[in-house]
Amino acid sequence: MRERVAEETYWLELTAPEIAAQAAPGQFVMVGFGASAWGIPFLPRPNSVAAVRGEHIGLLIRVYGAGSRRLTALKPGEEALVLGPLGTHFELNGARRILCVAGGVGLAPFLLLPAWPPLVSCGAEVRLLYGERQAAAVFDPGKLREISGLEAEIWTEDGSLGSHGRVTDGVDLNGVDLVLTCGPTPMLKAVRALAVEAGVACQLAVEEHMACGVGTCIGCAIETVDPETGEAGYSLVCSDGPVFPAERLRW
Amino acid sequence: MVDLSIQVFGVDFQNPVLLASGTCGYGEEYADIIPVDELGGIVTKAVTPEPRAGNPPTRVSETPGGMINAIGLANVGLARFRREKLPWLRDNLSKARVLVNVAGWSVNDFVKVVAGLDDADGFLGYEVNVSCPNVEGGTMFGTDELSLAQLVRALRAITERPLVVKLTPNVADIGVFADICEENGADGLSTINTFPGMVIDIEARRPVIGNVTGGISGPAIRPMGVFATWKVASRVKLPVIGIGGICNARDAMEYMLAGASLVQIGTAMFVDPYTAPETIKGLHDICERQGVAQLSELVGALEA
Repeated sequence: MRERVAEETYWLELTAPEIAAQAAPGQFVMVGFGASAWGIPFLPRPNSVAAVRGEHIGLLIRVYGAGSRRLTALKPGEEALVLGPLGTHFELNGARRILCVAGGVGLAPFLLLPAWPPLVSCGAEVRLLYGERQAAAVFDPGKLREISGLEAEIWTEDGSLGSHGRVTDGVDLNGVDLVLTCGPTPMLKAVRALAVEAGVACQLAVEEHMACGVGTCIGCAIETVDPETGEAGYSLVCSDGPVFPAERLRW
Repeated sequence: MVDLSIQVFGVDFQNPVLLASGTCGYGEEYADIIPVDELGGIVTKAVTPEPRAGNPPTRVSETPGGMINAIGLANVGLARFRREKLPWLRDNLSKARVLVNVAGWSVNDFVKVVAGLDDADGFLGYEVNVSCPNVEGGTMFGTDELSLAQLVRALRAITERPLVVKLTPNVADIGVFADICEENGADGLSTINTFPGMVIDIEARRPVIGNVTGGISGPAIRPMGVFATWKVASRVKLPVIGIGGICNARDAMEYMLAGASLVQIGTAMFVDPYTAPETIKGLHDICERQGVAQLSELVGALEA
């Protein structure tokens, strides 16, 4: 199924039983159209798994360019090539109070979080802050509740919906023992800085251009540091990430 | 029943489909996804004497009918390759043949890697990378006749394993470079590596790729790869490995008719990892449909 959920933003559900059975929040799938049907997009595109509903996975996709435009034009019954679930996922590490900070379609992994068995069994409390530029871009709160069971605290930069300001303005780390965040890089950097300053554990789901999604092309490099040796280098967003603990990123 | 096997470099390849260097890691990355040992073989990520972190991001981006990359020969280096990567290849691939791609900036760099691996188990031979456009000096050996001759001679002197040279298309006449490899003792040629290219973000007014320029691959370059393969195969007696934009059996067959004994699939593996197994099956189907019992009969069977 395919549904428009905000301006230039679509909710897609794909039938993918094996992926649905395994996907964890933060993990992604590569979605493409095969090597012989080459056109636009040629390369598959990474998309965070945003929901698991029976044999289906949900994806939240915003149109940025030709690739995302093609994916959001998928019609019911049409076939796509879906590889996954790939990469690392968020780790709860015994947390009791989790703060999730989402920017734009960085909302996706948090929609999957509440139904994730490790979260259900540990019973941790989840608070979700969700920021967009303006009201038109905001994922319908009713749909958000239906998919995830979460009540998001919405922030818009122009104040047209929810609280007025950047989503990072809503970050209150009092009593929080784990911060999870996904969204545009400047937002991730700001959230990371707040968490590091407060000494709260923080995990970030990051993005980079990818070709293969499985660690063979070595294309999605991100600067990291080994927390034990302090040695700087590159890690791969697809296979070492996309979820990294704050201390691993060289930001 | 169609026989897809082919004798090259004095050994049997169970089929002609290999995975190209830089698109299959060191083999094990694809082990959970496709049956790697059913392939004709794999060519490893380049190995340099010392480990390399690679180029700053962004390293890859889509281009029309393909992609641009500037990875920068990121690799674990000779010592770790021999210690950690070769044993997996040795223990897990009994039928698929392995070529180790070797890169460097001086004759001595290449010699170090070949000398450092030659007595190890787990691979058949070398693919000498004289054609990487993404590091300074990466194409030096591939575009200078004297340097190339010197390099091939130096490597020939220290190994009896198959020595394949991967040529760059970025020369006036690739045939000249093929001749040099043949005259100096190479056992085969791989045609082609990527074409240099550039993509610009018009909003940021900056190059998309961190390295500014990169190499273009994918089906967009296939006709140029077929041309280079045909040109080289018609000129030298050495076996040629065709590379460039192969997405299916039909594409692979073009290269074989042009004179390639083996082919490599690269960029299309990023699009769909099943491309290689499906290409093998597709070659079988094409032969069956055309009434060809032995695929190797079609190598260079172009009527022109």
